[in-house]
Amino acid sequence: MTAHEAANARRIGVYVCHCGGNISDYVDVDKVIADIEDAGDVVVAKTAMFACSDATQQDMVADITAQQLDGLVVASCSPKLHTYTFRGVAARAGLNPYEYTQVNIREQCSWVHTDDQQGATDKATALVRAGISRTRLTTPLEPMVVETLPRTLVIGGGIAGLRAAIGLADIGLGVTLVERELELGGWVRRFGPMYPHGKDGRALIETLVAEVRRRPAITVLTGAEVVGKAGSFGNYRVTVRVGGEGAGTIEVAAGSIVAATGFDAYQPETGEFGYGIEGVVTLPEFKALVDEATAPLTHRGRPVRSVAYVYCVGSRNTGGCANAYCSRFCCAATVQTAVQVSGLDPSIRQFHLYRDMRTYGKFEPLYTEARKAGSVFVKFDNDAPPAVARRDGGGLTVTVRDLLTHNEELALPADLVVLVTGMVPRDNEALVGVLKLPAGSDGFFNEIHPKLRPVETVVDGVLIAGACQGPKTSAESVASGLAAVTQSAAILKKGFTELDPLVATADQGACTACGDCLTACPYDAISMTETGDRHFAVISPTGCKGCGGCVPMCPENAIDLLGYTDAQVTAMIESLVEVPA
Amino acid sequence: MTEACAVPAVDEVDYDVLVVGSGIGGMESALKLGDMGYRVLLVEKEASVGGRMILLSKVFPTLDCASCISTPKMASTIHHPNITALTYSRVDGIRRSADGRFHASVTRKARFVDEDTCTGCQKCETACTVAVPDQFNADLVARRAAHIAFPQAVPKKAVIDRAGSSPCSYACPAGIQAHGYMSLIRSGEYEKAHRLVLEATPLVGTLGRACYAPCEGECTRGSLEGTLPIRRLKRFISDVHDEGGEELGIEVAPPNGRRVAIVGSGPTGLTAAWQLARKGYAVRIHEAAPVPGGFLRLAIPSYRLPVETVERDIDNVRALGVEILTDAPVRDLAALRAEGFDAVLVATGTHRSTSLGVPGEDRLGVLGGTDFLRRVKLDQPVDLAGRRVVVVGGGNVAMDAARTARRLGAASVTVAYRRGRNEMPAHHVEADDAEREGVQFSLQVAPLEVLGDAQGAVSGLRCTRMRLGEPDATGRRRPEPIPGRETVIPCEVVIAAVGMTPEPGAFAGQLTATSLGILGADAVTRQTSLPYVFAAGDAVNGATDITRAVGEGRRAAHMIDRWLTGRTMDGFDDRLPVVDKHLVLARQQAYAFRSPAPDATTLVAAPADFTEVEAPMTETEARAAAGRCLDCAVCSECNECVAACPVDGCIDLHARDQHLEARVGAVVVSTGFKLFPADLKPEYGYGRYRNVITGMQMDRLLAPTRPFNTILRPGDGKVPERIAYVLCTGSRDETVGNPLCSRFCCMYSIKQNQLLMGALPLADITVHYMDIRAPGKRYDEFYEQAKAMGAAYVKGRVAGITETPAGDLVLRYEDIEHGGVIAETEYDLVVLAVGVQPNRDAEELFEVGELSLDEWNFVAEPEEDLNPGATSIPGVFVAGAASGAKDIADSIIHAGAAAAQVAAHLESAKAGLSEIAKVPA
Repeated sequence: MTAHEAANARRIGVYVCHCGGNISDYVDVDKVIADIEDAGDVVVAKTAMFACSDATQQDMVADITAQQLDGLVVASCSPKLHTYTFRGVAARAGLNPYEYTQVNIREQCSWVHTDDQQGATDKATALVRAGISRTRLTTPLEPMVVETLPRTLVIGGGIAGLRAAIGLADIGLGVTLVERELELGGWVRRFGPMYPHGKDGRALIETLVAEVRRRPAITVLTGAEVVGKAGSFGNYRVTVRVGGEGAGTIEVAAGSIVAATGFDAYQPETGEFGYGIEGVVTLPEFKALVDEATAPLTHRGRPVRSVAYVYCVGSRNTGGCANAYCSRFCCAATVQTAVQVSGLDPSIRQFHLYRDMRTYGKFEPLYTEARKAGSVFVKFDNDAPPAVARRDGGGLTVTVRDLLTHNEELALPADLVVLVTGMVPRDNEALVGVLKLPAGSDGFFNEIHPKLRPVETVVDGVLIAGACQGPKTSAESVASGLAAVTQSAAILKKGFTELDPLVATADQGACTACGDCLTACPYDAISMTETGDRHFAVISPTGCKGCGGCVPMCPENAIDLLGYTDAQVTAMIESLVEVPA
Repeated sequence: MTEACAVPAVDEVDYDVLVVGSGIGGMESALKLGDMGYRVLLVEKEASVGGRMILLSKVFPTLDCASCISTPKMASTIHHPNITALTYSRVDGIRRSADGRFHASVTRKARFVDEDTCTGCQKCETACTVAVPDQFNADLVARRAAHIAFPQAVPKKAVIDRAGSSPCSYACPAGIQAHGYMSLIRSGEYEKAHRLVLEATPLVGTLGRACYAPCEGECTRGSLEGTLPIRRLKRFISDVHDEGGEELGIEVAPPNGRRVAIVGSGPTGLTAAWQLARKGYAVRIHEAAPVPGGFLRLAIPSYRLPVETVERDIDNVRALGVEILTDAPVRDLAALRAEGFDAVLVATGTHRSTSLGVPGEDRLGVLGGTDFLRRVKLDQPVDLAGRRVVVVGGGNVAMDAARTARRLGAASVTVAYRRGRNEMPAHHVEADDAEREGVQFSLQVAPLEVLGDAQGAVSGLRCTRMRLGEPDATGRRRPEPIPGRETVIPCEVVIAAVGMTPEPGAFAGQLTATSLGILGADAVTRQTSLPYVFAAGDAVNGATDITRAVGEGRRAAHMIDRWLTGRTMDGFDDRLPVVDKHLVLARQQAYAFRSPAPDATTLVAAPADFTEVEAPMTETEARAAAGRCLDCAVCSECNECVAACPVDGCIDLHARDQHLEARVGAVVVSTGFKLFPADLKPEYGYGRYRNVITGMQMDRLLAPTRPFNTILRPGDGKVPERIAYVLCTGSRDETVGNPLCSRFCCMYSIKQNQLLMGALPLADITVHYMDIRAPGKRYDEFYEQAKAMGAAYVKGRVAGITETPAGDLVLRYEDIEHGGVIAETEYDLVVLAVGVQPNRDAEELFEVGELSLDEWNFVAEPEEDLNPGATSIPGVFVAGAASGAKDIADSIIHAGAAAAQVAAHLESAKAGLSEIAKVPA
């Protein structure tokens, strides 16, 4: 009747996961098992409290070995979470990892159908049947082993990129460091003392640059920009334009790429909290003023006797306007600057107009120190933001309702108003296009998983470090730079890597060389070639990411995706539409 | 050589890196270093890798299930080809050597379960009779002593939680697992409790009546309301067994073809025979008296120990095929050898009374204490009716003699003793009971002469008054006569109970002996100068008590078996060190007052017969009494797990810690943090108000493996409708010595707010905060989302919490954003968002002061700006929250940074660079 019955009998093991209660609170997992255990070729059908737990993994290994299973289906959570987990189980048991199918009955059943347990259970059963159908038609596949280059390209010569370059060199990897500006050092090069240890930013950068220079394994390209990328993980070929617009390009070979492209400071609109009025400055401007100052503090030749800081400018905006996120570093940076100001002249009056003081962790004592040094803190409601106006007779007035003093309206005189501006993602459109880096709704580069895989991206071998991933302090950027070093070394030190064989293949005989697939491929993995007088498409297995975009474009059905062949997908659809007996 | 000298073999291993702690930071460092090709030794003190993250419900801001994203990392860690993960292990110390490498001493704590063969079936857990608070469920529910840490544990292997030996079991000279049979009785397993005692001795009923119960003196409950009645509970299980008529149900090895002769059928001989017979030996006991039992049958009066009880216990021995010959004294040990016995045990006891050593002792009416008791027990006539009796001595035999004399109708019975009442060696209960039965005490007198009448019969005892002088060698004050102070106690019978000795010269020419007849034998092995002859019990120790005698029998049997099977003669006493009672009391969260069992002894002033004076316990009394046990050592050694385990030899309570020395090139300290103990803020009532819980407890209530499978308040199981959060509990708070922000409590509270609103749509959630700190990627958006879902956030620190009679909680706080009023609001459940404290274990890994801490006692990172993860010791790095509060994402980044530093360190060491490859800051 169906294709699978014609195929040789298979021996498939099916495991349905409770996920603690994540699944079984809504899906009757025992019923799912009861409904599918009679399906053809199913030899083992079990439930598991946590399929991913070590105990169940060992159970699976034992079943695969004892029952000589040649196919494995686990119905649990998203394949994004555990495909590799269960492929590993298969491999440990001597089963080809690509004979495994993950069925997602958590995100697709229990979590979305909490109001319909019967429906969730039926859907889970259908999805498991489809998974079994796919598994019946699996064939053993072998990963492609590719030698990797022991070299990393670091994009961005700020503190994260510099530290990453040194770290990579110290582990024995070659490094090419590309910096768009003519000078290394990024933002930190412009800073004086930084929190929490009072280290001078300029000095830190000088140290790092000297260390970079000391290491022959590091090649530094300044005034350079990445303009092209070819190849794949382990063997990227990156085109770098050196010497500015119109100048030449060079090609850099690298096994992995670390993007450490940093951030931009939020630039307020004119009129935003009085920005544009004389005496209204941003935090980076004020920080530069204070770093350069010797007592008494002056601004444009006039002494500064009072300062009002307005926090969260360009951050934590609700109601759909830009930048809903918190910029993380600014609260502590501001109180540190205020302490610095008090150090210059303790008589300067400082008012901090804040929403929540986020001096997290060990930064809290800085906040305490600022209060002890005389800074006054005023909490305002987001719905009643402070207003900044020029005062008759010079200076500025900041009007605000203070939640800490029973909503009292205060009119604070200030010589300077400092807009505590946060970080915004750098405008990196060209680079994003080249690296194919995904950005989140906040505009910062997205990691694979914000908790457990914060420096990896969905593009294999392309890592992100520092504030390009999200707002960070200098030390946190350094840490993430080093984490990217670790991730690079973890994938390159072996010298080879295995690529997923779930890639598209084209049937040369059936191809009519129409070229439709070439335009469909986002990875430039398909090329036209010829043998004698025949033209046909060839798909590079290392360039192909298995997205399947080319498959439906082929008018001759000459392209098939290994692991998701037309026959497999058809069988899955048949299972899904099959009316249960 | 004594047994204790055995030195365990120490394994030496060599790795590139030692990672201490397998929380998220430790696992990440280990995995990444392993991926780079370095060989990693990962040491985790708990029974599973995973740290705290695996115990959480979900994680912010993605609301990923913590289990789902932790378990793959845990499994990868344990299966990684370059990582050796030692769980339930401890790093005792790390020393830096001259070459810049490190020596680490690691203890693999005994799990008492073989990791290789345990299948994780949890049968031991089901069988275990001890329940203690489950630390993996934040103490919300109990777990067993035999347990698998949590359902997703990696490795999923059981561990038996043993804190040492329980004081009662440790104190038992007979080696009986007192704690074990307490926990079995508590579980209603009386027959199993009986069998557990049978593991040590066949004399269950006997000891249940006549033991002086040194266990009870050590019982930790004794420092609370009163000790457990451990002895009477033993009698209870003996009674239950006798009434039930069940088989003994103990294992006996098949005959091994060897024969052992035992001389003497007292508690030592009977116990030795029992143990040897169970090991497959053919045993024959030679008893000189007409009945077996020795002191049990011939001395201890029946009101304390009925003859039938002793006979039933002796029947236990006979049931194993032991042959008991009576009226069969042994003089010639060599003859036994010649008859084919492979070994002989001499356990002849001390059945001769010591004489008074005063004139007139040969008069009619002077009796030895043991001779007197023996005649009574053998129903030989002793006519005391209407006669005045003086018993000389202050020991237990004296009390037995005095009380027996009362029962035989003596006109008066006076105990004459040379010291005071408090110095009497008799058990105080015995002396008290004697007094209550009308025995008089004449203290601080010593006999000078037995006076007689013309017929040579006793007419009185002339004594001198004594006083207590300087302490003697035993520490007791030496009695000395007061010159000229003499007195005469008129009497017709004098019973001399001043001591007992063995039969002098019994084995002269065969065994060595002291002048008093004490036989010579090795203190540990009990082997005599004749290798095939062992001697044990009172015959080698002098008079002790029946419980010690039982222990002697066990020891002798053990040693005879070791000798006959050609093994080293050790391994008898493998008790773990006794637990510290203060620690036991400290770990109790709350006591329920539990009344001690009432005394059940019925005494009359003029007892007329030998009816047993102590009543048996009812089942209800017994269950209640055993239920008072505090489970001092956690595991009670009841052996239920051993019986339940389907894998032979998998559970071994004799397992002991193992040590290994690791040589490593670098160290990663990832010892994590401690949660703030919320009871340090007494104004919030944690520990007193049952519906005040911590954030960790709420995470357990929300987790997929949650203890109650729903969210309820612990006090009464009610589903809470009004839930309050108190942020900054123990953080940003100088009053508890912590000025720091703990960084993740705002976020986990917001996460819980969202989960609670999903799980309990009708519940109102209110968060009392100082500042909401949501400074991370998508964190503030997550906070806004919680607000949009309906959680209320109220600025102002909570001043205090009071409890209503219904168990609800009234929070008193300042509502800053609404006019700064002082407000009070009632809630069903309060969650204290506890923060972070440093884990001081980290510094103890190294020599004192070597690992620098910062001013808040976290591991210092002196060059944090450029070298995060580097510590004050070159080659030692820190990963995760050991260096300060971090959430999971920050811990992962930090661990990644530490791993890069480790790799750089190892590479520079490999390259032989003298300079440490570290960027100068």
